[in-house]
Amino acid sequence: MAKKTKTKRKPGVCIPWEEKVKEIPKISGDKELVRKIWEDVDALGYMYIWQCLLSF
Amino acid sequence: MAKDMEQLYAERLKRYVTAMRNGKPDKIPIRPFVAEFVAKYAGYTCQEVTHDYEKAFAATRKCAADFDWDAVVINMVWVWTGLTEAIGTKYYAVPGIHIPPDTGFQYREPPEEQAFMKPDEYDQLIEDPTGYLFNVWLPRVSADVAAMGEPTSYRNNLSFLKGGMAMLSYFNACGPQVERLRRESGTVSAISGILKAPFDIIADKLRGYLGLVTDVMERPDKVLAACEALMPHLTHVALSGADPDKNVPIGFWMHRGCVPFVSQKHFDKFYWPTLKPIIEEIWANGHQVLFYAEGNWNAHLKSFAELPDQAIVYHVDHADIFEVHKVLGQKFCISGGIPNYLLSVGTPDEVRDCCKKVIDGVARDGGYIMDASAIIQNDAKIENIKAMTDFTREYGTY
Repeated sequence: MAKKTKTKRKPGVCIPWEEKVKEIPKISGDKELVRKIWEDVDALGYMYIWQCLLSF
Repeated sequence: MAKDMEQLYAERLKRYVTAMRNGKPDKIPIRPFVAEFVAKYAGYTCQEVTHDYEKAFAATRKCAADFDWDAVVINMVWVWTGLTEAIGTKYYAVPGIHIPPDTGFQYREPPEEQAFMKPDEYDQLIEDPTGYLFNVWLPRVSADVAAMGEPTSYRNNLSFLKGGMAMLSYFNACGPQVERLRRESGTVSAISGILKAPFDIIADKLRGYLGLVTDVMERPDKVLAACEALMPHLTHVALSGADPDKNVPIGFWMHRGCVPFVSQKHFDKFYWPTLKPIIEEIWANGHQVLFYAEGNWNAHLKSFAELPDQAIVYHVDHADIFEVHKVLGQKFCISGGIPNYLLSVGTPDEVRDCCKKVIDGVARDGGYIMDASAIIQNDAKIENIKAMTDFTREYGTY
């Protein structure tokens, strides 16, 4: 596993794309697609913990 | 029939939105925040509507179909305890498990020394709120989630899997519920999205009320910095759940940030400076916020009056609604003011008299929405809710 760097997380983000992209091989295809889907799914993790705090 | 429902929905939406923008609609909108009342009316126990959200949805739809209400919350019972039990949440007393099946769910605040956040952990929260919630807070509030550094477990892994799947299941069911209310009874979904004040959420779920009021004396700079660190996250969550059509407001639940829970000085130092910019940001994005002012917040009306015109809808619980109208009525729509005790132990005539008094006092120029003071639970008499509804329809025409 790649060494993780501590990043201050912004709203909507659990693991920033900038951190994740360092862990994966060079993207030969559509990098923007990989980034977008990473961020969309990552946002679900963010929603989970903040909704646990606020709604549940 | 479908066309009639769509027309009814359009009329109700226009009525509701016009009032919320502090205008004068054709009639006073009726938007009762019916919680466990829907169970009583539809023949369910509190356990059924709290633990099975489909039953809560069905009960809400039945009420919406039978009462002439303009808007309702799609499920005002709110906490689905099927989810909270699945992830091992410790802080709820669940109907049918910890409390009798026909008692509404309860929040159990831990003793001060067992608060979910320790007094020396402010820096961790300030540095990384999301990380703190995952790594420190969640393991403490869940019986199944392992703390950082402890061995993981089957129950730990399942907690995240089941919790995530359950939350998506619940939220994915909300959209169809909104549509069914519209299609089947022409009823508007009253709110969209959630907001709590930074100061309130620290008291509610992190330090506890006693811990926080100690902290404002012993480590005030940390408290303020923590509130500030939470602001962008709470703003983000509120906006991410907001109505994309910008019609209905974000629900903002106000708890213990007011006098006498805190002093005026502490309200001015902690609560308001870390809430006001959130409301302004949300309004700048085109969304209203419904201030659900539980208890009595009249000591702070002048602060709320600093907000831009129409930025909020102000819901009145125990406070003097006529005083609220005097201070805020020129700027904001007001809702509520019919005491829950009256709906519980009063007579229909007493309810009608109270509704008349409130309508005469605050609704003459529009900008008022009929509702009880607080969420309506299963102690309310059905005939009293009917009296509130029918009287408002008869008398509340402009």
